[in-house]
Amino acid sequence: MSKLFDGKLVFTQIPTLLEYLPITIELTLVALIIGWIIGLLLAMIKIKRIPVLSQLAALFVSIVRGTPVIVQLYLTYFGIPIALKYFNYYNGTSYNVNTVPPILFAIIALGLNQSAFDSETIRAAIQSVDKGQVEAAKALGMTGKQILRRVLLPQAVTVALPSLGNSLIALIKGTSLAFTCSVVEMTARGKIIAGNNYRYFEVYCSLAIIYWLLTIIIEWVFKYIEKKMSVPEDVPIIKEDQLQERRLNL
Amino acid sequence: MSFVEIRGLSKKFGQNVVLNDINLDIRKGDVVAIIGPSGTGKSTLLRALNLLEKPEKGEVSIEGNVYDLTTKSAKKKLELRKSTEMVFQQFNLFKNKTALENVMEGLLIVKRMKKEEARKRAINQLEKVGMGDRLNHYPRHLSGGQQQRVAIARALAMEPKMLLMDEPTSALDPELVSEVLLTVKKVAQEGNTILLVTHEMNFVKKVANRVIFLENGKVVADGTPKEIFENPSNDRLKEFLVKIHMLEGLEYTI
Repeated sequence: MSKLFDGKLVFTQIPTLLEYLPITIELTLVALIIGWIIGLLLAMIKIKRIPVLSQLAALFVSIVRGTPVIVQLYLTYFGIPIALKYFNYYNGTSYNVNTVPPILFAIIALGLNQSAFDSETIRAAIQSVDKGQVEAAKALGMTGKQILRRVLLPQAVTVALPSLGNSLIALIKGTSLAFTCSVVEMTARGKIIAGNNYRYFEVYCSLAIIYWLLTIIIEWVFKYIEKKMSVPEDVPIIKEDQLQERRLNL
Repeated sequence: MSFVEIRGLSKKFGQNVVLNDINLDIRKGDVVAIIGPSGTGKSTLLRALNLLEKPEKGEVSIEGNVYDLTTKSAKKKLELRKSTEMVFQQFNLFKNKTALENVMEGLLIVKRMKKEEARKRAINQLEKVGMGDRLNHYPRHLSGGQQQRVAIARALAMEPKMLLMDEPTSALDPELVSEVLLTVKKVAQEGNTILLVTHEMNFVKKVANRVIFLENGKVVADGTPKEIFENPSNDRLKEFLVKIHMLEGLEYTI
């Protein structure tokens, strides 16, 4: 019987797969940043209860959360060229769909998907900061933007971080579907390799190992940032000669 | 012309009239205590002066600068907020910042001071309220009384023309009240103009030089602590003082 499972290959082909790790990371990071920015915008629209926009935001979030990522990838992949053709037709322009790099479709789909999930996390985190602090900041004379930047966001980030980390992990795994938009990233590369040597099981083993390690690294990084950003547990120690309270007889 | 003049301040919550055409003149250095039954608009009066509530009508002039309290101009709002400062019942310190950072925040962001200068002024203020030894403590590491003293330092560091204090001791454990009251007393003695809402009548007697009794959105009585507590002329005021045991009431048996 020939060798059913080539255990060695699982590890030896990892470097070949890793050549495409930069594409996976590029997809992830750009989609992540788009997700956070649009997510924050959607969150602010919901918090401020802006008429029309907040209903549209709710509809968008509902649709994105209610459809599989792979369907969303297909929708952008087929939808954008159609939209472009209509645009050309009505405006007399001649933009060519084929000049659009395929990675852009994947980035748009994954970024919008992220934004929908993160918007709810960000909204909840911002609203978890008590109103009193906002009033205090207003009373000091801070503007709305300053309050968001100096008071709300720093505290919201610590609250949102664990959930944002989870959704980043979902995103990095979601990039493995970008093949549907003809983007060759790590998983797609693996499929191509396996298509040549018929070692499908081995290549998926290698991919599993890589994604798992990536996820562990992300978890570590988020735990570290969380620890850095949260208010320390321990009360600072005051030396006896610095004690002011007794001297002032308060 | 008085230092602070409040004119025609009116505020409704739905159908409920909370402030009904309030007019008030405050001299520089006055410590004005606002007393009255709950729900009569004491806090709302302070909050309207800082635009944390939007009044329907009203005007305030501070040192000759007139502000329409219904203004929509963001610039005017900021200007007014910068000339007053608020101390809250729940302290409302920024929880992710240390005591020092809390006091520096307004100096850096609103007053746009240099970091070193802001730091110096913040430390100076914190030392004045007896918190100089806890600069790097976060609010969660401080007791309620200590948090409130930091909040007072944060307000004073901004050098407001008028300090608004909204029940600064109401959320404190009884044993912590005195440290805050002593701080307020010190602040008053330094010549700050203070508008203070409180239920600490004995403190009002000692520190305030003017007491205003507010009921149903109206100033019902206005006078020195002596006039208010010892010779109350108004029936409603008398009744209120009896209820809070500041005046001997009719004998009754239980």
